[in-house]
Amino acid sequence: MIDQRNFTYMFYGFAAAWVIITAYVAFLALRERRLREELDRVRRMVEESGKKV
Amino acid sequence: MKDLRSEFRTKEALNASFAFSVVILVLFSFAFDPSSEQMQTISGGLLWLVFSFAGALILNRSFARELQNDCLDALISSPAPAGAIFMGKTLANFLLLMIVELASLAVFAIFYDSHFGSQLGSIALVIALGTWGITVIGTMFSALTVNLRMREMMLPTLVYPLLVPALMAAMTLTTDLMNGVPFGKENMIWLRVLAGFDFIYSILAVVFIDVVLVG
Amino acid sequence: MRNKLVFVLCVLAAGILCWQLYNILLILPNEKDQGAIYRIVYFHVPAIFTGFMGFFVALGASGMYLGTRNLKYDAFAAAVTEVSLAFATVVLATGMIWGRIIWGIWWTWDARLTTMLVCWLIYAGYLMLRRAIDEPTQRARLSAVVSIFGCTDILIVWKSIEWWRTQHPAPVLSVREGGGMAPGMEAPIYWNWLALMCLAAVLVMIRMRQENMSREIDSLRRLAHSY
Repeated sequence: MIDQRNFTYMFYGFAAAWVIITAYVAFLALRERRLREELDRVRRMVEESGKKV
Repeated sequence: MKDLRSEFRTKEALNASFAFSVVILVLFSFAFDPSSEQMQTISGGLLWLVFSFAGALILNRSFARELQNDCLDALISSPAPAGAIFMGKTLANFLLLMIVELASLAVFAIFYDSHFGSQLGSIALVIALGTWGITVIGTMFSALTVNLRMREMMLPTLVYPLLVPALMAAMTLTTDLMNGVPFGKENMIWLRVLAGFDFIYSILAVVFIDVVLVG
Repeated sequence: MRNKLVFVLCVLAAGILCWQLYNILLILPNEKDQGAIYRIVYFHVPAIFTGFMGFFVALGASGMYLGTRNLKYDAFAAAVTEVSLAFATVVLATGMIWGRIIWGIWWTWDARLTTMLVCWLIYAGYLMLRRAIDEPTQRARLSAVVSIFGCTDILIVWKSIEWWRTQHPAPVLSVREGGGMAPGMEAPIYWNWLALMCLAAVLVMIRMRQENMSREIDSLRRLAHSY
């Protein structure tokens, strides 16, 4: 069976690695959503001004 | 050349820089009142910290001064190659910083009762090499950040991490030299690191200054 | 096509990681001194490899940008640097936890730790610089120079301290002299490295897409204002 010494710390270590990666992925996802909204907004803006011209 | 002349006329940066380093040295001595054994271990670190902060003050103004009256554009469009302009500024900054450092060194000797007369030549060499490293990187990034909004914050943020190898080498060497230990087999590594650092970055800076200034 | 590739890589990465996790936690024998904590090396070391490789790739991309002035390379350099910074954070965090347990200290100024920290600071500065410049060509130009200077610096830091004392464990991988891990214990490092590389590739691709999106936004906005 797995050695029990320092087991909690190993867990912390693994957790740290995963938390950081997950946080980064979440950050990317958030940015993606914001960019997409912005893109849609600007696209709409271009269409409207294009129609006016 | 022009930089030196304008600097000596106003002496702003020189005075500010020197005053700053004296203040740090005095405050440190006052705050910690280090014994002579403690001083032996930290002398190099303290000195180079003081030198780098003083350097930041000088470097910040290096290209920033050109912003007024569009001097920067005039300078760039002049027939002189960007590399020459860069070297000119770097040399000017180097001399200015050396002056401040040597003066600070004297202050240091007074306040910290340091005896390093035996290694004076080697110390001078290390200080010169280290200062050149600070000046090359600092001037380069001064040019790089000159047009940015957050110039005053970006310059130290970018420059200090880059200077870490040079500062480490200089600090280790200076601490040893201050304690009267001459260049030996152990120290030569750091000396080579410092020299290598200066060499590599001087070349890189001259190569890339065109990209940075002109585009 | 793109999305399928992303998906495949994701699955591959996840698969390898799960398999290795099982391997690491249940199959591998225990190391005699360190207890369970040593298994962290299976994340720590692959993250180092991935991170450093990323920074070198970014260096190449920056050079390509300066040579060709094609903004595509700049976008790639930025994406790779950002992802590598995330991995570098993982390295520092796992390293500090491991160090705390084994050496009793959170930090020390030895070769690899210093290199990693300096690396992190330089590239964090790189990202800050990018945020401070709005004009794309200027941003690309200046950050390329920073990338080049930064990478050189890391090489210098690494080499210079390697010649000096180090508190870090000496090389343990069998590919470097002086190393020697039991062969069964070494394989997971490389498998995890592969998994992390897949993960990194996925993240870079996502990030690139975001760069392209923001560039499209910029040009559309300019178009809208010109009407």
